[in-house]
Amino acid sequence: MAEKKQARLTKVLDYLKHDDPFSKGVAFCPGCGLELLLRFIPRVLGNDIVITGTPSCSAPVLLGQNNQSWHTLSYFGTLMTGAAANATGLARYYRKAGIDNTVVCFNGDGTANDIGFGNLSGAAERNEPFIYICYDNEGYMNTGIQKSGTTPFGATTTTTPYGSVHKGKNLRRMNLGLKMAMNKIPYTATATLSDLEDLARKLLKAKEAKERGFCFLHVFAPCPTGWGADPANTIEICRRAVKTNYFPLWEAENGRIRMTKTVKKPKPVSTYTELMKKFNHMTEADIKILQDDVEYEYCLLGGLSVLEAECQLPVSAKDQGEAS
Amino acid sequence: MNTTTTPSRIKVITGNAAAAIAAKLARPDVVAAYPITPQTEVIEQISTFHASGEMDCELITVEGENSAMNAVMAASLAGGRVFTASSSWGLVFMYDAVLAVAGARAPVVMVNVNRETPGIIAVSSGQQDMISTRDAGWIFLIAEDCQEVLDLVLQSYRLAEDYDIQLPVMVHYDGFFLSYLSEGVDIPEQETVDRFLSVLKDQPRRTVLTPGQKLGVGSHGILGGYMELRHKHVTAMERSKAKFEEIDKEFASIFGRSYGGQVEEYRCDDADIVLLGSGSMCGTIKSVIDDQREKGVRIGLVKMRMYRPFPHQALVAALKGKKAVGVVDRSLAFGFDGGPIYTELKAFETRLDGAQLVSFIDGIANTDITKTNVEKMIQMTRDLADGKDVPEVTWVSYPDANTKGGK
Repeated sequence: MAEKKQARLTKVLDYLKHDDPFSKGVAFCPGCGLELLLRFIPRVLGNDIVITGTPSCSAPVLLGQNNQSWHTLSYFGTLMTGAAANATGLARYYRKAGIDNTVVCFNGDGTANDIGFGNLSGAAERNEPFIYICYDNEGYMNTGIQKSGTTPFGATTTTTPYGSVHKGKNLRRMNLGLKMAMNKIPYTATATLSDLEDLARKLLKAKEAKERGFCFLHVFAPCPTGWGADPANTIEICRRAVKTNYFPLWEAENGRIRMTKTVKKPKPVSTYTELMKKFNHMTEADIKILQDDVEYEYCLLGGLSVLEAECQLPVSAKDQGEAS
Repeated sequence: MNTTTTPSRIKVITGNAAAAIAAKLARPDVVAAYPITPQTEVIEQISTFHASGEMDCELITVEGENSAMNAVMAASLAGGRVFTASSSWGLVFMYDAVLAVAGARAPVVMVNVNRETPGIIAVSSGQQDMISTRDAGWIFLIAEDCQEVLDLVLQSYRLAEDYDIQLPVMVHYDGFFLSYLSEGVDIPEQETVDRFLSVLKDQPRRTVLTPGQKLGVGSHGILGGYMELRHKHVTAMERSKAKFEEIDKEFASIFGRSYGGQVEEYRCDDADIVLLGSGSMCGTIKSVIDDQREKGVRIGLVKMRMYRPFPHQALVAALKGKKAVGVVDRSLAFGFDGGPIYTELKAFETRLDGAQLVSFIDGIANTDITKTNVEKMIQMTRDLADGKDVPEVTWVSYPDANTKGGK
């Protein structure tokens, strides 16, 4: 593989080549996964990115809501409905004007998977030249912990509360990363905060791949406040999400899926759910449903990675790009 | 009319084609395209220009109108000249971004091909889409014919991107009536348009979002800061009135066509009574006025070209001292005795030196505002001027509304 020949960066600190553009003491909850991710991105990609963000947990810091702290990045506060379309407009104009740019469209799962999915999908179809990063905290956390399309089975939120009739979310979570990989865009990857080198490498890969078009990173970012978890456990939650295959780490170039971390003996998903109150009420039977779902999704992913490796990518898909 | 016209050519084209050609002549950097009847021809034409290389722009074939407006907003805030087009449900689907564009003071230019919007799915003309979005914070201009569609789009770029204005502009024209109507349109040369727009290049550059610069747009505004920006928005809107007049005059000196700015007064000087209309109905009204003038009726038309900001000073100046004014609305306002433009004008009634106002609703859902209908309106307005009892509002093409006690 070509990337193995490159000078290898083995320590995560080696990836942090740029300053942290965020002020200290920002308005995030203790143990916030989003904060770590948000600070990490410009330190790896550079401070010359243009970042877009929506009303969300990122808004207090990214968009300066209530003047609660700020940063020195070039940024655009977008609507949730049109986040990817806004990033499209920026990237296209910069291309037309010949301005070097790395546009990072930074959104939560509510925007990416739900209300803004239409324009995310459209941007993928048109192979727009920017990086879309979804930090997935499995719900609408900024408005006070409501269910989203990526909230997992069983989890309680304020719109899927525990009651005598309905007990948490009675629906499966959607697999956002896989949905995007199926569009055969230049680069899709999942990542999380327990594997920062993996995340950094994927960010750099996306930066390079966006020269060929649309890149999508799906980053698992726990929300201790919303999930009922100990803020000290954020990284441990990520680690266990990977070790149980609840959130497998993989990447896909032009839709070809490749695991970037393989767990030899996956732990039961209960070792993950036990860290959070949102799963507290679940019976063994409930956990079994979640376990089956995790195994099925992983099996699907494994199957696809084998299948994609055997399938020859059509030449037309390799250099796709909307006529301009 | 100025006679120093520069070389040009006349082609028989639709209002939609006129909009597309105007967009091409303005050389936008980014165009977002999504189809909707009766606008579709606009984006088809632009796509053809793009495919043939006649138009060198980034063409974004979005997956919905909401993305169209979001994409051009961002491109505009990054420094680009942009264009998009929509109608009816499309305008409504992009409405959150329409509001955001205005608040961000992004100089977006678009055309909206007026069409009805109620849930009875009228694929037909009407200005309800314009009325439903009137206070989004955009400048709204209304064209009467295909030539004016082309001219207004060109003037819109000068207005939107002017350093003292920096506001989005929406050019409205009647769907079905103007969108598909073919008539002779004088298409200016590219170099003439370039010259007309070149003034913008000499102005200070507006603040734009550039990679690596410590600048954000779309920040959260709070309390006093928010109010300051809203007040600046209001005052910029107010400034756009005089600026539009100025641009119209300059347009006349270059292209040989002038429209009178915010309102066009047609045979109003010695008129006792006046109709106030907008859009394609004005052609019919002018024709009836010509007929009636021959019979000695002293009647004129005030055509509203600018609808937002509401041109009340220009309207008052044009209508002051008339005996009666009949206001023709192609849309509805709920809870008022009369159409939307009528009710807005009503707020300035005390400044009209006794001119009486009467409301006519007509032309909804593609019903023709016929010459016969216009004659009826004129008769009722004359009756009002003569002191006769006239209902405050009349649905001209729907007599049941007037006889069954409906207002």
